[in-house]
Amino acid sequence: MRQSWQLALRDLRSRQVKVMLAALLIAVTTVAGIQLFASGLQQTLMTSASEFLAADRQLRSRNSEPVAEEIYQQAESLNLRTARMTTFSTMLSHDDEFQLVAVKAVTDDYPLLGELEWQTSADAEPQTSTSGPPVGEAWLSPRLSRLLSVEPDDSVQIGEKSLKVTGLILQEPDNGLNFSALAPRLLMHHDDVAATGVIQPGSRVNHRALFAGEPEALASLNAWLAPHLQSDYRWRDVRDGDTLSGSLEKAERFLLLGGSLAVLLAVVAIAVASREYAQGQRDQVALLKTLGQTGRQIARTYLSRLVIWGALACIAGLVLALGFAHVLMWMASAVLERSLAFDFRLWSVWPAVVTVMVALMLFAYPPIAQLRHTPAMRVLRSLPATVSRSFFTQIAVAIVAVFGLLYVYVGDALLIGALLLGLLVLTGALWLSGRILLRLMSYCAQGSGVFNMALRNMWRHRQATLSQICVFALTVMLAAVLLLTRSSLLADWQAQLPEDTPNHFLLNISERSLPAVENFLEENTLSRSDLYPIVRGRLTRINDKAVTEVLENHAEIGALNRELSLTAAQTLPTENQIIRGEWFDQTETAGLSIESSLAERLNVGLGDKLGFQVGEQTFSEEITSIRSLEWDSLRPNFYIIFAEEGPLNSLPRTWLTAFFLPPDDKAVLDDFVREFPTISILEIDHIIEQVQNIIQQVTRAVEAILLMVLLAAMAVMVAVVSATISERQREGALMRTLGAQQKLLTRTTVTEFVLIGLIAGLFGVLAAEAVVWILQYRLFEADFRWHPEIIVSLPVITALLLALLGRWQLQPVLSVSPMRLLRRLE
Amino acid sequence: MIEINNLGHQVPVGEQSLTLLQNISLQINQGESAAIIGRSGSGKTTLLGLMAGLDLPSEGEIRLDGQLISTMDEDARARFRAQRVGFVFQSFQLLPALSALENVMLPLELAQVESPTDRAKTLLERVGLGDRMQHTPRQLSGGEQQRVAIARAYAVDPLILFADEPTGNLDTHTGQMITDLLMQINHEQNTTLVMVTHDERLAARCSRHFEIDGGRLSEQNA
Repeated sequence: MRQSWQLALRDLRSRQVKVMLAALLIAVTTVAGIQLFASGLQQTLMTSASEFLAADRQLRSRNSEPVAEEIYQQAESLNLRTARMTTFSTMLSHDDEFQLVAVKAVTDDYPLLGELEWQTSADAEPQTSTSGPPVGEAWLSPRLSRLLSVEPDDSVQIGEKSLKVTGLILQEPDNGLNFSALAPRLLMHHDDVAATGVIQPGSRVNHRALFAGEPEALASLNAWLAPHLQSDYRWRDVRDGDTLSGSLEKAERFLLLGGSLAVLLAVVAIAVASREYAQGQRDQVALLKTLGQTGRQIARTYLSRLVIWGALACIAGLVLALGFAHVLMWMASAVLERSLAFDFRLWSVWPAVVTVMVALMLFAYPPIAQLRHTPAMRVLRSLPATVSRSFFTQIAVAIVAVFGLLYVYVGDALLIGALLLGLLVLTGALWLSGRILLRLMSYCAQGSGVFNMALRNMWRHRQATLSQICVFALTVMLAAVLLLTRSSLLADWQAQLPEDTPNHFLLNISERSLPAVENFLEENTLSRSDLYPIVRGRLTRINDKAVTEVLENHAEIGALNRELSLTAAQTLPTENQIIRGEWFDQTETAGLSIESSLAERLNVGLGDKLGFQVGEQTFSEEITSIRSLEWDSLRPNFYIIFAEEGPLNSLPRTWLTAFFLPPDDKAVLDDFVREFPTISILEIDHIIEQVQNIIQQVTRAVEAILLMVLLAAMAVMVAVVSATISERQREGALMRTLGAQQKLLTRTTVTEFVLIGLIAGLFGVLAAEAVVWILQYRLFEADFRWHPEIIVSLPVITALLLALLGRWQLQPVLSVSPMRLLRRLE
Repeated sequence: MIEINNLGHQVPVGEQSLTLLQNISLQINQGESAAIIGRSGSGKTTLLGLMAGLDLPSEGEIRLDGQLISTMDEDARARFRAQRVGFVFQSFQLLPALSALENVMLPLELAQVESPTDRAKTLLERVGLGDRMQHTPRQLSGGEQQRVAIARAYAVDPLILFADEPTGNLDTHTGQMITDLLMQINHEQNTTLVMVTHDERLAARCSRHFEIDGGRLSEQNA
C-alpha cells in the first residue's frame, strides 16, 4: 500500500497525470460547486416563490365547510406554523353607500411567508407588516376607500358588524391572478367573521388553511391528508397554477442541464488526459514486464494509483467546491439583495463523488487497463498500440454510465436520450465530415507557404486533428446548447411579461359607457389591448343532453359548477394556439372554440355540440376549434370563445379590456373611478412587478451557472491542448533543427489551431442548433429559430482561444535553442 | 567549407560557469569526411551543435561555406540550415505520426522546393525503401528508420551533413549497412560530412579524425 502511495505520488510529477488530475479537479469542483449553489438557490427561489402563497402550502376546502380542526392539530404536531383564511363576497356600507367587496378574513399569523404592504392613510408612507388588522378593524383597498369616500378611522358596516378602518391595503403576497376577485378588497380579522352574520349555510365562501415549515413536515402532512384530498380539499404548493411556477420549473431544469453539461465536459477531459497518460506509460510497463511483473500485477498497480488520485481529487475538489459555492452564493446574495440559505450537507454532494468514480473507472481506467497487454518486446523496439476488442464494449458501457449519471441529475430520460443521441450522432458525423474536409483541404495544399503547410500538417496528423476537432466541437456544442437555451429561456420570460404588459383590467364596461371609456383612455394617452364582450353563462348541455347525465364526475369539474365568462372574438387572442379545427372565418356566425384542457375533461371534440344557459335563454353551438393557451400569461384567457357575429351578439353583455398604466400615473385611476363608478378595475401591476423581479433574479442565477459551464468548457480545451504539447514540442524542435524559422513555426501552429477552431466551432454550433431544436419542444415549448449571431461568433471565439493556447504551448519550443531541445528529446 | 577559429563555449551551472569547449580551431574542406571521437561528456555533441548553428558559441567564430554563422540570429541560421545543412541523429528523430515519405518531404517543404513528393520518393528508393514509403516509423525497424533519416538528411542536397552517432542505436550488421549508405551518398553528392561517433570502424572510414578531450580538440593522423 505504501508503495502504491509512493508510486502514485511520484507520478504526480508526470505532466499527463497533472492534466488528468486538473481535469478531475475541475470536474468535481464544477459539479459539486454548481450543485451546492443550485440547491441553495433553489431553496431561496422556493422560499421567495412561497411568499406568493403567503405560505409553503395552502389547503383549500372544496365545499363551503371550514378546514377541519384535526388538520390544524396534525399540522401543529408536526411543528408546522398555521394560519386561517376565509374569503367571501358581500356588500359593504358606509354613509348609505353600498359596494360589493371581496372580503379576506385572516388570523394573526397571516401571512406565514412574505409581507403585507399597507399605509395608514392615502398620504402616509407605505409600510410592511407580517400580520393583518387586529380584531375590530379593517383595511380597505385604496379604490374601495375612494368609491365609498371612507376616511381613516371611519366605520364601515359588514352585515351586523361594524369595523373601524385603520389602513389601506396596498399589496398582499398571495394576491395571485384570480380573475374572480373582481370586487375591491377588504381585509379583516378572522375572529370577526362570525359576528358579521354574513356566512349562512349555503353561502358561497372559501376556506383555506395555510402551512409553513420544514419540507419533511409538509410532506408528512400531505401524506396524512392524502385520503381527504380528492373529495374535500385541494392541496396547493408554489408549483400550482401561478405565473411563477412555470418560470421556476424552467429555471430548475436549466440549472440541472448546466450541471449535466459540466459532467459531460469533465469526462471528455478525463478520457483525453488518461489516454495520453497511458501512451506515455507503455515503455515503463514494457520495462516492468521485462523485470518480471505480471499483467495482473501491473493492472493492480495502476488501479491503486487511480484510486489514490481519485480520492485526492475528490477531497481537494470538494474543498474547492465549498469555497466556490460560497463565492457564488455571496455574489448571488449581492445581486438578489437577500441572503441565500447555504445549507451544506455531506450527502448532498454524493452525485459529485459518484461522478468522480464513474469518470475514473469508465473513462480514465480503460486506456490504463490496456497497459497490461503492452508487449515486453516494446523494450527492444517500438511497437504500434493495438486496439483491444473490448474497446467498443467499454465505450458502450461508458455511454450507459453517463446516461445513468445524467438521469440522476435531470430525471428526464427523453431529454437525456436526445442529448446523448445528439452527441453520438454528432461524434460520428464529425469524424466522417471532418475527415472528408481534411482530405479536401489537403488536396488544396499544393505549394509552399504557411497556410498550405498548416493544411498539410492537419492532414498528416489527421487522427490527432480529428480527435481535437471532435472534442472541441463537443465542447463548443455543450456550451452553445447552454447559451442558446439560456437565450430562449430569457427571451421566453421577457416575452411573457414585456415592460408595457397591460397591468390594469377594466371589467363590467357597459355597452353604453364603452365610447366614453375609450375617450377617457385616449385623452390620458393610455393604449388599451383587445376588447372582449363578456356574457356570464353556464355550460349546461353536451350534445343535447344535460351535463349531469353525460358526465359522472360533473361535480368535480369547476367549469360546470359556476358561471363562465363567455366571449367572442374575430381574431385568435395572443398566446392562444389552435390545436385542432380552424379559427372562425371573418363572416362566420356559428361554432365555438374551446380550451383544450376543458375539452379533455368534458371528453368532447370537434363537431360535438355544447349548450349554454344565459339567464332564461339557452343556445348551443358546435365545437369548431380547440385551443391551447398560457394560463399564466397575465392576459385575459377564456375557456369558450364564439364567433364575433355569433350568438352572444343578441345577449346583454358587458366589455372587458386591459391597459398599461405607468407606475407614476396611478392618480389617473382616481379620475377613472369617479367618472365610471360602476366599472371594476383589476390592478395587477404589483403582481407583474413581483413576477418581473423574480424573473430578473432567476436570470442572474442562470447567467452565473452559464459562466461556470463556459469556464469548465475552457478548462477542457486547455486540458486537451496541453495533452498534445509533448508531440508538438518534439516536432517543433526537430523542425527548427531542420531549418524552420521561428516565425514560420509560430504562424503554421497558429493557423492550424485557427482552422481547427473554426471547423470545430462551426460543427459544434450547428450541432447545438440541432440539439436545441429538439430541446425547444421538450423543455421550453417554444418555436425554433436560427441564431446567426452565435453561428458566426462562437467559431471565431473558439478559433481565437485555440490560437492563443497553441501559441502559448509553442513558447517553450521557441525560447530554447534547438540543441537543448534535441538533447531534451534524446 | 567549415572554418572554426578560437572557439570556446561555457554554460552556466548555478552561479559558476562550466567550460565545455576551449580554444578550438579547425578547417574542413568541401567533400572531406571528418570523424570527431571522444569519451562521453567530452564535448563532441556540443561541438557538432555549434558547428551546425543549433546554438551560439561563447567565443570564437564559425564559418560555413564562407558565411559567418556564429554572428547570425536564430532565423538566419535556420534559413542557412534549411538550404545547406543535413542531419542524422542517433535516435533517428522521425515524426511518429508522419509516413516515411512525409518525413522526407518535411525539409523539402521547409526549403520551399518545388514538387517535394517526387524528390522524396527518389531518395527513399535510393536508400532501398521504395516499397515502404507509406509506413510510419512505428512500422519500420531501427535500420529502416535510420535509412529514412538519411534520405531526409540528403533531401535538400546539403553542402554539409552532420551526423551524431548515426549507428549508435543499431546492431553491428545494420550499422555497417548504414555506414556504407552514408558514405556512398556522401561520395556521390560530394557532401562535407562531419560525424560524432564512438564507433572506431565508422571513424576509420572518414578521411580526417579529430579527438576531443576535456573540451580541447586535436587532429590525429590517419
